[in-house]
Amino acid sequence: MSRGGRGGGRGGRGGGGVAADIVFDGKPSELFPKYDVPLAPSLSKKDERQVSFFLLFREQCHDGPLYTQARTWTQGLGKTQRTYGQDQINSRYGQTSKATVDPFLAVPTYSQKFIQPERTLPDLESRPFAKEFFPPELHATLDGDDGPSANKRRRTGPKSLALSHITALRTAEELFLPEAQQSYDKALQVLDTVEKNGDDLGFLSGEDDDDDWVKHRDEDDDGDGNVEEDNDEYDDESGDDYNAEQYFSGGDDDDDYGDDDDGGAGEF
Amino acid sequence: MSVTKYLAELCSLLIDDLYGELPSRIFAALLLRGRSSLPELCHYTSMSPRQLRHGLAVLHQHNLLFYQVDSYSEVAMYEANAEHAYNLIRAGKILEMIDTSFGAPAKDVMQSLLLSGQTRIGDLVAAYQDKIERANKAAKAVKDETSEWDEPSGTTETHHAEKRPDLVVKSTNQLNAVICRLVEAELLDVVHSKSFQTPFDIYKAVEKEVMDTHFPGGPRGGKAKVELQQKIAEGLRKVRDESKSLKRKLDQNGTQAKRRKLLFSGGSSNGVKDEHEEADSDPVLDSKQVIRINYEKCLVDLRNRRLVQFATDTIGPITAYVYGVFLGLLTKRVSRCRLDPKIDISEDDSQGRGYVTTDEILDSLKTSVDLSLGLGKAQRTEISSKAAEKILEDPPKKRKFIEEAEVDGNASSDESDDEGGSDTEHSDSDHDHKGPATNGTKVKFADSAKEQRLDRPALLRQHLLLLAESTQRFVRHCGHNDWTVDFVPLMQTMRESELDVVIERTSGREGLRLVRILRSKGKLDEKALPNVALMRKAEIQQKMLEMQTAGFVDIQEVPRDNKADVKKSFFLWFCDSDKALRRMLDNSYKTMLRCIQVLEVLRQKDKDVLMLTKRSDVRGKEKDVMEKVYYDRYSRFLANEKKLFAQIMRIDDLVSLIRDY
Repeated sequence: MSRGGRGGGRGGRGGGGVAADIVFDGKPSELFPKYDVPLAPSLSKKDERQVSFFLLFREQCHDGPLYTQARTWTQGLGKTQRTYGQDQINSRYGQTSKATVDPFLAVPTYSQKFIQPERTLPDLESRPFAKEFFPPELHATLDGDDGPSANKRRRTGPKSLALSHITALRTAEELFLPEAQQSYDKALQVLDTVEKNGDDLGFLSGEDDDDDWVKHRDEDDDGDGNVEEDNDEYDDESGDDYNAEQYFSGGDDDDDYGDDDDGGAGEF
Repeated sequence: MSVTKYLAELCSLLIDDLYGELPSRIFAALLLRGRSSLPELCHYTSMSPRQLRHGLAVLHQHNLLFYQVDSYSEVAMYEANAEHAYNLIRAGKILEMIDTSFGAPAKDVMQSLLLSGQTRIGDLVAAYQDKIERANKAAKAVKDETSEWDEPSGTTETHHAEKRPDLVVKSTNQLNAVICRLVEAELLDVVHSKSFQTPFDIYKAVEKEVMDTHFPGGPRGGKAKVELQQKIAEGLRKVRDESKSLKRKLDQNGTQAKRRKLLFSGGSSNGVKDEHEEADSDPVLDSKQVIRINYEKCLVDLRNRRLVQFATDTIGPITAYVYGVFLGLLTKRVSRCRLDPKIDISEDDSQGRGYVTTDEILDSLKTSVDLSLGLGKAQRTEISSKAAEKILEDPPKKRKFIEEAEVDGNASSDESDDEGGSDTEHSDSDHDHKGPATNGTKVKFADSAKEQRLDRPALLRQHLLLLAESTQRFVRHCGHNDWTVDFVPLMQTMRESELDVVIERTSGREGLRLVRILRSKGKLDEKALPNVALMRKAEIQQKMLEMQTAGFVDIQEVPRDNKADVKKSFFLWFCDSDKALRRMLDNSYKTMLRCIQVLEVLRQKDKDVLMLTKRSDVRGKEKDVMEKVYYDRYSRFLANEKKLFAQIMRIDDLVSLIRDY
């Protein structure tokens, strides 16, 4: 017998057995019937630890040289979630046109200086690799020789692996409701970093323009040419625009900041 | 590991979350298309070769790829390593496990390795040296500043430790020692030339080699075929052992036993003392070696923790502690949860002794633990010592686990209640040292102060017997003083009990009851079921259909004659646990995937806040810069993120139980 027939037969037989019990309920079904939403139990101490370790790990990954921040995936814009085929998937990425630009963020503003520049490619040349385990076609890429800027600039000297500087995960509570002890610690830390670099970290330690003399002194020592060079590197696409060591402790960006600040003052 | 659609999506989303969009896109394409070369990937993803090369390098650095280079054309073929990609979600668990069992320095090293992927030991040491030096300099600077009111010099070490609690590894010697510990525990592996070949490729290569050398004309007859299998297994084992070369070298060092002892007897937490003791006994590791994390062994340790948790829930914390120590000793030489049928044909004996003696456990127990707690006391006359001390030398035969599961499932939902007053549980299940005690037997708990105390070995024995007699068969008593664990049936029991919990949650107690009836009876005719279950026919039909849609039970049609008349056919209900578990597994992947997607949506929603917190002028002084509204949104986002990841990790518990343990 065919499959359809089987199903029909079953249905009929089942109906026969049930019919006596069914009472027709004429009421319309409730619009929002009560639904018992299962709630997950709150986190245990162990869960908390595991999650915070994972989040810290994630944070450190994002801080490292192999992370690419750039997101080219465009959502919405009349596109559906469902895709049929690789072409459609590919067309979701890398669409930068006038239509996709966010008009509110497209105009350069002062505060954009503080936004960490996005990397489109990982910064491979900043760290060493165990090259013998990589396929030969990737070796040049690992050296940072892959790309149009390859001939221009070569990193000299030995490469070194940098450990992440993020050592603790900060929660919103810590950020916003610091206790006395904590702010004391933070102050000490800032002092630490200032001492360590002898660099201008005025804005990090929360100092204002009153203390500008510190910056002036430093920049006088540096001279302008240095800063110019830094800018060059900064513009380079796959260049050394990211350096974990200088991420917190005020590297080029900070110099930039100081410099521009200065320049602005000069213009006025 | 079969990669389903949801698993593939989950893996690529995980990579996206951790390493960025570029590697994730490549990984997704590799999962979808299978083994491909660079030009092929170019074609699939329509990315530039330069982008692809960078992305592939990142993926490879994080051990997420297999590749093979063709010896003629020098073209590499890449393949995705979905297992390692999935393991990324376990990073938090692994780190937590390392932190509790090996201490903070080991965790720090492990984290650095997780971050940087496969790493040369020399590079790792240099990085740590760099960090230490910088911290020292900073500490010195601070010290110069504050020395006026600080204690005079001489206490530099402590001062420095106080000031910078984030510097966990204090010297390269300590780093070396930590790496040695982790390598000895097999948690770190050496990367070798075949690490990045797929298991299948390795198998083929070994098979070809064996065929060429031993059976040039092909194997003839049954005996030769068995021999061929053995030879292949041997070859595969040799390849696998290459990654343990560093461990072997360390093992050859004479002081190994002594150091092991230090490691396992809780010397891990007081790092300072160990540092000095161990620093001189450890050989300096070859800085050319490349190491990476061995997830297989991590899973073994995670399984131990899971079992201990299970024992805590069913029996009690002290017994579970004993169990934990015992498992630690037993699995020291177990390097993977599931044996590979191709490799481990005759490996039962080569894994070394498969049991642990009571004395060994006793040596490893902390003396601060009072073993007399958590044990019931009964009159000597009420204990059938013969039954309690029964020795089972052979692992249980492949018998049905139905009966076990039935009893166990019963307990699993209620047993958390019993945890406090295990009194009831003891008398319920007629436990060992009470033997055939009736329900009326007064069971007193050992009051360590008043009653006469048993000595420690005897108490330990009691705990182990308790574990051996439990319905879950945590432990097998395989010799007078020898104990072992049969992991396969034990994990099967745990899996079934987990399935029972899920069934109960989705279709209620009646559903669970029906499933248990089906399990014990096998296939059951539709008409017979109401009689057996003592339920109304209509109710049963509805429930069974509901469970069929959920995938817990299934129906089979058996025609009575050639015509296959539907009205005359039998309809047999049955329950296939394996199938149900497989379905549950895929559902779990899907749930995890949805969690990450929800997180992404949340991120989009609070994009402005998150961008603000990432700004370099906001970082560090968020309180001054951000408004209260923003703070509220930010903290809500963080709380949600935490909850979602916790949910993912809980589901991962289930996944690892079903798939990996």
